[in-house]
Amino acid sequence: MEKLVIEATKYTPEIYFDCEKNILEIRGKSYPENTSVFYSPVFKWLETYLGHEKSQDITVNMELIYFNSSSSKILMDFCDILDAAAANGKAITVNWIYEEDDEDAFEFGEEFQEDLEFVTFNLVEKPPG
Amino acid sequence: MLKDLYEFKKDLSRRGIFFCLSGPISQNLVAEIGSTLEQKMNLEDTRRPTVLRVFSTVVENAQNIMRYSDEKEEKLSLGIIAVGYEDDEHYFVLCGNMVENRKVERLRNNLTKLRKMDKHQLKEYYRKKRREGPPEESKGGAGLGFIDMAKKASKPIEFDFKEINEKFHFFSMKTVI
Repeated sequence: MEKLVIEATKYTPEIYFDCEKNILEIRGKSYPENTSVFYSPVFKWLETYLGHEKSQDITVNMELIYFNSSSSKILMDFCDILDAAAANGKAITVNWIYEEDDEDAFEFGEEFQEDLEFVTFNLVEKPPG
Repeated sequence: MLKDLYEFKKDLSRRGIFFCLSGPISQNLVAEIGSTLEQKMNLEDTRRPTVLRVFSTVVENAQNIMRYSDEKEEKLSLGIIAVGYEDDEHYFVLCGNMVENRKVERLRNNLTKLRKMDKHQLKEYYRKKRREGPPEESKGGAGLGFIDMAKKASKPIEFDFKEINEKFHFFSMKTVI
């Protein structure tokens, strides 16, 4: 299995999923016109990855400066899949990285944290700049 | 029209509007408008959460026009978006587009319901709707746009439907950040 690397555009985030280091990163802005078109290869990769890897600890870094409401739904689906994998025994840590003072991003992180049962979910404040 | 252009611009300024676009809206345009407004607000030392809320409201509104405006030329959707200041401390976003008459009632009910909710209720409603699948008419969206805007607004969203002819109403809404 190969890494999944998608470069950021103005309205889609950078995807850097490294199956050797077991680090999955999503960074940037997410407001594509059609979210399912952009995220479908991401979900496909994730499904294969979670089906293959056995016992490694997985770290997921989510650093989204801005996402539109349909991306918010997709991100929840993404977290649900991770949570289900964690329920089946994988050790998964999700770092929700938000800008200092960005109360909306913090609130979104909190909501995800409340909704997820099995992953270790950290809210990580990033200094400005 | 040539001689009126300055008056037109002054009229927008008088209403506090510093950005206005009327016409076809595309995804690339949304991204450019978003980043230009972000630059402008950064120059004005606007608080970061406010910048992100205005950005977000403009994007949601513009994408609503792209998805739901019933005034179209081929694949391009038409509408109007304006951004301005009000009372020295708030930004507002205006958005308008044509809708078919049959959709007016549902939109009106939706928005009226949101107007009656407080912040906490909006938050819970957003979470509930996000858990449910997208509504059938959502066209690639998740049906969460209005709730998201209402959550981020500093007062209830105002809206209006103006009857144009036997087929269309003009839908306008105002979100104050």
